Amino acid sequence: MNRALLMRLGAFLAMVVVIGAIFGVLSSQFLSQNNIAAIFRHMSAEGIAGLGLTFVIVVRRFDLSFPGIAAFGAMTTGQLIALGYPLFPSIAGGIAVGIVCGVINGLAISVLKLPDIVTTIAMGSIAYGLSFIYSNGATISDNFMESGILDINDQTIAYLDEPIFFMLVLYLLAWLVLHRSRFGRGFYATGENPRAAMFSGVHVRLYVIAAFILTSATAVWAGILHCAEAGQADPSAGDGFLTPAFASVYLGAALFGYASVPATFAGTLLISMMLNGFTLLSVPYYYSDAIISVVLISAIAVFDPRFAAALQRIVKTRSLAGAPK
Amino acid sequence: MSETILRMTGIGKTFGAVKALDNVDFELQRGEIHALLGTNGAGKSTLVKILSGVYLKDAGEMFIAGEAVTFTGPRDAIENGIAAVQQHPELVPGLSGFENIFLGRETTSPGLFRRFQRDALRQRAEALLTRFPIGIDLAEEIGNMAAVDREVIAVLHALTRDDIKILILDEPTSTLTEREKALLFRLMRTLKNAGITIVYITHRLEEVFEIADRFTIFRGGRNIATMRSDDAQRAGVSIPEMMLGEKTGQLYPDRHAQPGEALIEARGLGQDGAFEGIDLVARRGEILGVFGLVGSGMDELSKALFGVTRPERGDILLGGKKIIFHGPSDALRRGIFLVPGDRRTEGLTLTRDVAFNMTLAKLRRASSLAGFMKLRAERRIAAELAAHVALQPAILQRHAGLFSGGNQQKIVIAKGLYAQADIYIFVEPTVGVDIGARAKLYALMRELSATKAVIVMSSDCDEVYGLADRVMALYKGRIAFESPALETTANRLLTAGIMSAQQAAEGPSAPQVERQPA
Repeated sequence: MNRALLMRLGAFLAMVVVIGAIFGVLSSQFLSQNNIAAIFRHMSAEGIAGLGLTFVIVVRRFDLSFPGIAAFGAMTTGQLIALGYPLFPSIAGGIAVGIVCGVINGLAISVLKLPDIVTTIAMGSIAYGLSFIYSNGATISDNFMESGILDINDQTIAYLDEPIFFMLVLYLLAWLVLHRSRFGRGFYATGENPRAAMFSGVHVRLYVIAAFILTSATAVWAGILHCAEAGQADPSAGDGFLTPAFASVYLGAALFGYASVPATFAGTLLISMMLNGFTLLSVPYYYSDAIISVVLISAIAVFDPRFAAALQRIVKTRSLAGAPK
Repeated sequence: MSETILRMTGIGKTFGAVKALDNVDFELQRGEIHALLGTNGAGKSTLVKILSGVYLKDAGEMFIAGEAVTFTGPRDAIENGIAAVQQHPELVPGLSGFENIFLGRETTSPGLFRRFQRDALRQRAEALLTRFPIGIDLAEEIGNMAAVDREVIAVLHALTRDDIKILILDEPTSTLTEREKALLFRLMRTLKNAGITIVYITHRLEEVFEIADRFTIFRGGRNIATMRSDDAQRAGVSIPEMMLGEKTGQLYPDRHAQPGEALIEARGLGQDGAFEGIDLVARRGEILGVFGLVGSGMDELSKALFGVTRPERGDILLGGKKIIFHGPSDALRRGIFLVPGDRRTEGLTLTRDVAFNMTLAKLRRASSLAGFMKLRAERRIAAELAAHVALQPAILQRHAGLFSGGNQQKIVIAKGLYAQADIYIFVEPTVGVDIGARAKLYALMRELSATKAVIVMSSDCDEVYGLADRVMALYKGRIAFESPALETTANRLLTAGIMSAQQAAEGPSAPQVERQPA
């Protein structure tokens, strides 16, 4: 392990300690065992959206549609459960809806060359709109008790809460794909230099499509966890995803030099700690989102060498312009 | 006419270990058209960039109208009446001609809320056209204009200040047709008559006697000769010979071709606006060299052979069988590897390390059936390849972008070796590569050619001639000349690539261009 990585790890741990200390002082419950478990539960739902988003950021695109897609997927699962389908096909149905949305995003952006930001804003609105078709926007909770979806929230596997277990499995899988397989090389090559990747025989378009599929599918899973916790499906399932997901990926990337699965894990942990702390201090959500955004921008500023270079340039031209002629 | 407007003495410029300019003296006279000639890397572009303030000189002095000047940036050059038109001028396609001419200078005083005064702009544009009469419709959008009109707009853009004395044109004719060229030359003569001095870089030697009053030849960073065009023509001076010089020492490895079976063949390959009627064969055991300038269709041809584009006419045959490539991945699978002309944008992932780059073109070989990378094996193979191509420094975790040009090219070649192709196509393999690394790259290509087919495409005639067993010249998208290297001369190849086939047929004498009545 080289020195630069050790320093970055040190910076991450320092941030964990600092945030833990601040909230620990402000709230006596923050460092309690129960609350630490709650932080990880939070990570396992909202935080999982950041894992999928990592792939889109690695291929250097943007996806703003996943909260809407999460709502649509979660409502689809809710509706299937309400119609009496067993748990597994219902979840698969919701995720399938997410995959379809991801394919459309990917095709529109990589094949039809539509701009990613506008396309995904549109896709997000469409998906959010579609999440109302089953029940006109009313919550769905028929059959929820019998179907077993609540067990996802309540049961444990290997001494871990199920959502946390699944989160760890998903992170492990994503890590294997992105950092231990040739497909990971393809994602990075596509993002860093698509032209060179194409000249190296990498199927650039397929990787972009795959990234959007992964983002949508994991967002739906996060939405379903949200439903499992709430005991009902409603179109607000994806509402809190956007800022924390982007913040996790970018905070992690800023800390570790570039977007990666471990970086997103670190970012998600920090963001979840902060969101949890704000909740304990009963800071309203509109302020907590704002504070997280401030932390995000500051982290990028502190860790990104490009920012330092830009700052240097500005100072230099200032002093040049100010110099007497 | 003999008033000296610019004098540069003892100009030096080094990039790392490379002396781009070495003690160069250069002079311009008021109202002359002065051509700068030389092979790639000879130093002419560096000189022009120093003159326009883009590069700072390391040594030497510069005088404008007798006064010593020092430039610290392009702004200084413009203040001193020197304007430059880039090789590919950046214009805004959606705006009209006159809007582009005054782009960034719409008002006379800066300020966010100054209004664009379209009528005033139009009047100022008309005033420019009265000063320099040329038939062009300035109301047309740039996107709809012909190449020459865009060039004219770029020239007028450079001349919006009234006090421009020296105008620099960097290969303005490389993308123009003959008719268009005549129009541009007319504008150049008009400017000349208005007292403006034009410095003009070109690779097309036939133009020199047509338009230039004087020319200067660069070779290896030195000013070899400055001559009046008419004197040179009377004396029968051979410009290609002066450009090439005699230095073809042991830079190039010995030829030992043992041509085997044909691995790739092109028959009547054609693509609109790029190349036409291309027939070529690359055989196992030899190097095929293709010489062509910018605009000769060489780059497009290399991409067609690698499946990046699909040629509109003709066939590509692999081992005698007709093939249509579905993209570069298909070509790679069939054993073709392209070392692209632009290694930074096409060849490498600059922000990743050496090992990442080396295995990228054949990830299957570095991973198991399930797709998991064999990281230890990858590292070992990358280390072996780095040693094989003599990568310096041989640090595998270092990002590709941090290596010098020559070592970046070595990484691309190692990537090609890892891909285990049968046919290697090199495009401009040594642009920006210093002479020491060059010899190593050439040796690697020669080594490859022992068991594979190698095609080298380059705008450096020396390189093509020195390296290849068989040579071809591409001129305006067509094969202008073809010969075994040993049965021809570098001079003849250069002439063919620069002035087309019939010139080459007339032999390696001086360019036989009659001066046309103006």
